[in-house]
Amino acid sequence: MAVTTTSKTQTSKPKRVSQRQMGEWLTGYLFILPSVIVIGVFGLFPIIYALYMSLFRRRVEPDRFIGLDNYTRILGSWWGALAFFGGLALILVAHWLWTDAFKRSEKASVWRILASLVLLGSGVSIALGWNLMMEASRNGDFLQGLVRTVFYGFGSIPLQISLALVIAYMLFQKIKGQELYRMLFFLPYVTPAVAGAVVFQVIFSPREERLANQIAGFFGIAPQRWLFENKPLLEVMFGGPIGRFNEWLASTGASWQWEGLWLGPSMALVTIIFFGIWTYTGYNVVIFLAGLGNIPQNLYEAAEIDGANGAQQFWNITVPLLSPVTFYLTVLGFIGTFQAFTHLFVMREATNGFARDSVDTASLVIFDTFYKRNDFTLAAAQSIILFAVILLLTLMQNRFFGKGATGG
Amino acid sequence: MDNAQDTRNAAVGAATEAHPPKKRVREQYEFKLTHLPIYFVLTVGAIICLTPFLYMMSTSLMTLGETILKQLVPDVPQWGNYTEAWNEADFSLYFRNSVIITALTIIGIIFTSVLAGYAFARIEFPGRNLIFMLLLATLMIPGTVTFIPNLLLIRGEIVPWGSWMNTLPALTVPFMANAFSIFLLRQFFMQIPRELWDAARIDGAGHLRFLTAVVIPMSRPVIMTVTLLTFVAAWNEFIWPLLVTTTSTWRPLGVGLYTFVTEAGPETHLIMAGAVITIIPVLIVYFITQKFFTEGIATSGLKG
Repeated sequence: MAVTTTSKTQTSKPKRVSQRQMGEWLTGYLFILPSVIVIGVFGLFPIIYALYMSLFRRRVEPDRFIGLDNYTRILGSWWGALAFFGGLALILVAHWLWTDAFKRSEKASVWRILASLVLLGSGVSIALGWNLMMEASRNGDFLQGLVRTVFYGFGSIPLQISLALVIAYMLFQKIKGQELYRMLFFLPYVTPAVAGAVVFQVIFSPREERLANQIAGFFGIAPQRWLFENKPLLEVMFGGPIGRFNEWLASTGASWQWEGLWLGPSMALVTIIFFGIWTYTGYNVVIFLAGLGNIPQNLYEAAEIDGANGAQQFWNITVPLLSPVTFYLTVLGFIGTFQAFTHLFVMREATNGFARDSVDTASLVIFDTFYKRNDFTLAAAQSIILFAVILLLTLMQNRFFGKGATGG
Repeated sequence: MDNAQDTRNAAVGAATEAHPPKKRVREQYEFKLTHLPIYFVLTVGAIICLTPFLYMMSTSLMTLGETILKQLVPDVPQWGNYTEAWNEADFSLYFRNSVIITALTIIGIIFTSVLAGYAFARIEFPGRNLIFMLLLATLMIPGTVTFIPNLLLIRGEIVPWGSWMNTLPALTVPFMANAFSIFLLRQFFMQIPRELWDAARIDGAGHLRFLTAVVIPMSRPVIMTVTLLTFVAAWNEFIWPLLVTTTSTWRPLGVGLYTFVTEAGPETHLIMAGAVITIIPVLIVYFITQKFFTEGIATSGLKG
């Protein structure tokens, strides 16, 4: 619209207007200049510089060009990385084939079988690639850190979003004191993460007199080591049966044992997941409430006339119409977990590094690499990989849920 | 381009539609017996949310002896714990630092974002959309990526401008503009009717005059939202101050609390008192501006 008006005026009075336009442009550039400088220097430049410095080694002698060596150190095997990331890409292909199959009415089943095969192949590829990378990597910390990040994400996001959805839906039922509840639920979100972590580390201390163990004792559970427990939560809870299962596995001659990362997050990490859920649920509630306010009331009225009960209304109206909000919060949440730092760092340091091996997510590994081990260039390479993973995840989520979300 | 259009429409739609229904809902608040289970669940949730705060308050008023007993409430509140923690960890210095850092960051953000938000909303210039998209792209970049080069930058190892370590600019300048604030303000500015600008222009006003005399007074709510969001973010910032402060000169409260905790060891009551000192300012601001705050978050959060 604006373009057409300027071109019109240009044809009628070319010279004066162009001068005036120059002034307009200049004002525009002047107005954005402060922001562009700050964001350019501290937001955009670092990306380019991180890419650049990740190609050097600077620990022993200053700035020796080593090409992709840092990446090789982290990923171990390039073939493994190719198989792993290729596998992730294959999931996208499988998804595309599957949805495409529904558009083609003829031979749809063939396409679906093909999609399933591709999905199977992607699983195999991911597993093989991962194994190759883990075996070859000289610096497996980061890869394990990525796994812990995934644990952290899958442990906190789905739970925190479904809790928030239920709470928001309840709050929306014209409840008395809605604003008071909303205020209380939102409180943890504005709390400084350091202070919150300090309180949580005391509550979840292994000492018997601390709150978590007192509550556990109230329910007849023996005192737990919480933040100081490096064992996987599953092992803490079902150590006996898992041990017997592994004995049985060994007796059948299988070389594989159900142990280590296969058992899921450590109890220490789960404790931090509690902390994360406590912090972010309220934020999600507030966003969901805003989303609920945008659902036309007459839909519910119509459903009521048709005889739909509360649960039916929730599943058939609220959940589908909120899916864009849910999508937004999920993406935001996952990006957030991959960036999460303060919560994990303060809680981990509280254990004097005791929980390091079971809590360190990718961002903590990166921090240690450059802050404690002073290896800036390796850390830069790690951070670039983390960034790539975040981008890939966002793309995948966009692909899977994005269409429905933008449509709704 | 299309996306920007969509989000703009969505924002305008949300802004115009969100308010009337809210009022209607508020009138319908009522107490029903069938809502009892809902109240029960919500109250349990609220108690879980509050427990860490209550535990923190309670423990901060205990004696050292009481903190190692299975006791939930102190016999006699030890208000002296606060002065003890305050003096032991130099909290007065940290507090002053946090206030200054937060205030400067807010002023910087408002200055840069109002100008840029206005330019992106109202002024036509070549490359406008490209630059805007580039700035927005920075929101996707994880902090861990930017911290490493930025730390070297602050240490003067990339650009030979000397070391900024332990200085006020190192703690404030990197935060003095961010794409999200610009985005929020731009969305709001775009809803201001074009006729107002045409009228101002006929009266001979330039962009700066129009911005200060018309746009800013009309945009108080959104500027307030940006201020509050910046306040919380700046007050709660932790990693960056930890990286660039090696001495206590400009150390803010969060990092101060963290170093206090690592040094104080088992003095749980003092640690909790320190946590209270760190949290209280945010809570006060939050309670005062609570409605503004959550509604600001709600409308700004629903950008996508």
